[in-house]
Amino acid sequence: MSSVRMTQITALVLRAIASDHHYGFDIMEACDLPSGTVYPALRRLEKAGLLRSGWEDANEAFGEGRPRRRSYRLTARGREALPEAEAKLEEVRRLLSRFGPTPKET
Amino acid sequence: MIAARFWIRLSSLLSPWDERGEWVEEWEAELVATNGSQKQALGSILDAWYLRTEGWAMEGLFRDIRMAVRTMARKPFFTALAGITLAIGIGANTAIFSVVDGVLLNPLPFPESDRLVSANHAAPGLNLALVPHSEGMYLHYQENLQSMEAFTVFGEGAVNLVTETDPQRINGATVTEGFFDVLGVHPILGRGFAPGEDRAGAEPVAVLGHGLWQQSFGSDREVVGRVVEMNGIQRRVVGVMPDGFAFPEEAELWIPMEINETEPDVRSLGLLGVGRLAPGATMDGAQAEMVDLLFRFADAHPNELGRDVLEQAGMAPDVKPLKELYVEDVEQALWVLLGTVGFVLLIACANVANLFLVRAEARLREQALRTAIGASRGDMVRQYLTESVTLALGGGLLGLGLAYFGVKGLLALAPVAIPRASEIGIDGSVLLFTAIISLGSGFLFGLFPVFGYARRDLSAALKDGGRTATTGRERHLARSALVVAQVALALVLMVGSGLMARSFLEMRRIDPGFDSADRLTFRVSLPEAEYGDVGTVMAFHRGLLERVAAIPGVRSAGLITAVPLEDQKSASPMEAEDRPTPPGELGPLVDRRQVSPGYFGTMGIDLVEGRELTWDDRGDGVRSAVVSEALARTFWPEEASVLGHRIRGQGDEALSWEIVGVAQDVRFETLGEEPAPLIYIPLLRGSPEAPSPALSVAAVLHVGSDPLSFVSVAREALRELAPRLPLVNPRTMDSMERDAMSATSFTVVLLGIASVIALVLGTVGIYGVISYMVTRRSQEIGVRMALGAPSGLVLRGIVGQGMALTGIGIGVGLLGAWGVSRVLSSLLFGVTTTDPLTYLGTAAGLAGVAFLASWVPARRAASIDPVEALRSE
Repeated sequence: MSSVRMTQITALVLRAIASDHHYGFDIMEACDLPSGTVYPALRRLEKAGLLRSGWEDANEAFGEGRPRRRSYRLTARGREALPEAEAKLEEVRRLLSRFGPTPKET
Repeated sequence: MIAARFWIRLSSLLSPWDERGEWVEEWEAELVATNGSQKQALGSILDAWYLRTEGWAMEGLFRDIRMAVRTMARKPFFTALAGITLAIGIGANTAIFSVVDGVLLNPLPFPESDRLVSANHAAPGLNLALVPHSEGMYLHYQENLQSMEAFTVFGEGAVNLVTETDPQRINGATVTEGFFDVLGVHPILGRGFAPGEDRAGAEPVAVLGHGLWQQSFGSDREVVGRVVEMNGIQRRVVGVMPDGFAFPEEAELWIPMEINETEPDVRSLGLLGVGRLAPGATMDGAQAEMVDLLFRFADAHPNELGRDVLEQAGMAPDVKPLKELYVEDVEQALWVLLGTVGFVLLIACANVANLFLVRAEARLREQALRTAIGASRGDMVRQYLTESVTLALGGGLLGLGLAYFGVKGLLALAPVAIPRASEIGIDGSVLLFTAIISLGSGFLFGLFPVFGYARRDLSAALKDGGRTATTGRERHLARSALVVAQVALALVLMVGSGLMARSFLEMRRIDPGFDSADRLTFRVSLPEAEYGDVGTVMAFHRGLLERVAAIPGVRSAGLITAVPLEDQKSASPMEAEDRPTPPGELGPLVDRRQVSPGYFGTMGIDLVEGRELTWDDRGDGVRSAVVSEALARTFWPEEASVLGHRIRGQGDEALSWEIVGVAQDVRFETLGEEPAPLIYIPLLRGSPEAPSPALSVAAVLHVGSDPLSFVSVAREALRELAPRLPLVNPRTMDSMERDAMSATSFTVVLLGIASVIALVLGTVGIYGVISYMVTRRSQEIGVRMALGAPSGLVLRGIVGQGMALTGIGIGVGLLGAWGVSRVLSSLLFGVTTTDPLTYLGTAAGLAGVAFLASWVPARRAASIDPVEALRSE
C-alpha cells in the first residue's frame, strides 16, 4: 500500500466522495474537474488505500434500464485523511487570495 | 454519444489488457447513466495512459513528461514555433550526417574491409597525389610483398559488348587473377579468374556483373560457358558476380589482364593497386615494406625508373585505407557542411532558449505557487529540463521526417561525383545521432531558464507579479548573450557561404580557352582485334569526320583523344631537342592529346601562331605538332616565336616533333587548375616503322543549335560506317562545364541554404528580444513620454540597444569567421579566406537586417499612447 501526496486535486476528490458522490462522473461534477484529472486521482487514491471501489448491484441497475456503475467509497484511512484534505484546500485558498485574481499568462 | 463510445474504445487500447474489460464497462456505464457528452469522455485517454504507465516509476520521470506534454499542449503556438525551429536544425543535421555516415564512416561493403588498403604511390615532387603501378611493378610487389595476404591491380575502362541486342558500351575493369580474392567477394555462378588467366596468350574469359547478367543475358543460369564478343574478341563467360558488387566505379564486367611475364611493361603507370593486409600486419608495416621493394625495383630498372628519378619526383609508396581512395575528394566539403548545419542547430537552440526564457518569466507566478505548496528547487529544475528535452525529442522526430525528404532532395541536387551515393540512407547510426543531438539540444536550451530562474528568490516575483518595469539583470544578460551568440554564429555562416559564392562567380568568369556553347561530343572506341591495320583505322577516322561534318546543321567537326574536362591524364616528361635535360633529371611533364584537322576551329580554340595539323602531317622521324602557350613558355621562355623548334620525349632520340603551331591555353584538367604544358600531335603517332593510331577518340561537333538533337543523326552516320560500334556517352560541352563546377555549386547551394536559415533565425531572435523588451517596458516608456520625452529619442534608444547587441555579435562573428574560414581554403577559388569585401559586405548586410528587426518593435514603442500605457498599471 503506497502513500499518496495530498494535492489540491486529491483533496477535492476525497471531499466530494465524503459528501456522497460515489460515481466517477458525479465526482467530476462535484469537483468541477475534467475526467482526465479526476480518474487518475481516483486510481491513485484507491491504490494508496484511501478509497475502495466496487460494482453496484447489476439487477438494480438493469431495473433502471442502464448498465451497472463502479462506485467509490472512503476507507477508514480515507476518512482519517479528510482533515488533511480540508487543511490543504484551506492553504490553497489562502495562497490564492494573497495573489488576487490570477492574471493570464503572457 | 456514439463518438464518445468510439473514443473510449480507442483509448482502451492504451489501458492494461487485463483490466480492459472492466475499464470499458466503467466508462460506458458513466456515459449512459449521466447521459454524458463527448467532452466528458475525452479524459478517458489520460486515465488509460495513467493506468498503463502506473508501473513506470510513477513519481518520477513519467509524471514529469506527462506534465511537460500537458503544459506544452496549453501553449500550442509557443510549442509549434519552438518545435519547428528545432526540427529544422535537427533535420538539417540528420540529413547531412546520413550523407557523412554513408560516404565517410560506413565501412566498404566487403568482408573484413578494414584490412583492405589502397597500395599505390604519391609523387609530391611532380605534384601527383596518386601514382599507380605498371605491370612490371605489380609482378615485383606481388611476388615479394609479405605484409599483404593478397595484392591485385586493375585498370578501369569501358568495353564494347555485342550481344543479340544493339552493341553497348559497358563499364568494365581489367583485373589480375587475384582481384576477387583480395576483395573477398565470390561469384554466385561459375568461378572467378584462375591462375594464369591474366597472362598474355591465355584463353580470353570474362566475369559478368549481376545487373548486366539480368539485363543483357535475361538472368540465364546457363550463361557460364557462353562465348560473347567484347571489344571484337570472343570471350568465354566464366562467372557471374552477386548483386551489389560493382567495384571499381560501377563496373559490370571484368576481364583479365594480359601481362607479358617475360617482358612486362615497366613504363606505363596506370594500374591501381589494392591489397588485403595479412593477419596482424599494419598499414605502416606494409608501407615500409613497399618502400624497400620500390628501391629494389628501381635498382633493377635504372633506365626506366632509376633511384634518381624516384628522388626527384619524391615518389614513394602510399598505403591507406581503400575507402580514402574514393572519398578523399568530397571528404572536406562534407565535414564543412556538417559543421555548417551544426551552427544552424546552435542558432536554433539559442532561439528556443530565448523563447523558454521569455516564457519562464511569464510563469513566475506558477512557479512561486508551486514552491509555496512544497515543490523543491530540484523539482523545478527537473520540470524545466523535462519540458525542454521532451520538446527537443518531439522536434527531433519531426526533423527525422524532414531529413528523410531532405536526403532525397540532396542526392537529386548532388554532383554526379558523390561516391557511394547508393549507400546513403537513414539507418541505425543516423537514428542514434539524431537521438543524441536532440537530447543534447534539449539540455542546452533547457539549462538557460534553469540558471535564470530556478535558483532565484521568488518572493519578489510573488509580490509584484513580474509586472514591474525592470527585469532581472541576470535574465536580461542571458537573453542578450543569446542574441550576441546568434548574430555571431549567423555571421560566420554567412561569411562562409559568401566566400563560396564568390569562388563560384570567380570560377564562372574563368575563360576555359574553348567555346562550350552548341558543341556536342561523343566517343567511339575501335576494338584492336578488328582494327589492327593502320590504314583501316585512319580511313575510319577520316570517314567518320567527313560523314558527321556533312550532316546538315553541323558547322564543323574534329576528333581528339580526350576533350577538355574529360578527366584523362597522359602526361610524361619531355625535353627540347636544342637543350636536352641533363641525365638523371626529370624534364617538365607534358600532357599529350592526339587531334584531327579541324579540331581547333570546332572548339573555338585560337591559334596564336602557325597552323593547325593536317592529315598529311607525318614525315619520317620528324612529325608536326601544335603546342600550347604554356608549353612554349615552359621550354622557351625568352623566345617570341617557337615555330620550328623541336621537342621529344625525354631520352627518346628516335622521334621528335616539330612545332608548326601554338594554340591558346585550354583548361583540360579542371576549371580551377592553371593550364599545364600540352602538346597536340596527329592521330597517327609512333615511329614510321611501328605506327600506332589512336583507337579511342572523342568527336566534337559545332552545330547551329540544340546539340543533343544531333545525337541520332550522328549515330546513324556511325552505323553506316561501322554497324557494330556503339556511339558512347553523347554530351554537350556545356554540360561538361557545368559538371566541372558542380562540386562547387553544390557546396554553394547548401551553404547558402544554411546561411539563409541562420539569418532568418537570427533575425527572429533579435526581433523577439527587442519586441519583448518593448512590451515589458511599455509602462516605463509611457511614463517617460508623458513627462515629455520625444518619441524620436525613445525610438533611437531602443534601436540603439538592438544595434549594440548586434555590434558585439558582429565583432565576435568576424573574429570567429576569420578563425573558421581557413577550413574552407581548399574549397575556395580565386578568393582568399580573409577576403575583406566578403567580410565587410556580410557584416553590413547582417547589420541592416538587425536594424530592421529592432526598428519595427521600436516604432511600436515610440507610438505608445502614454494614457493607455499608464492605465494598464
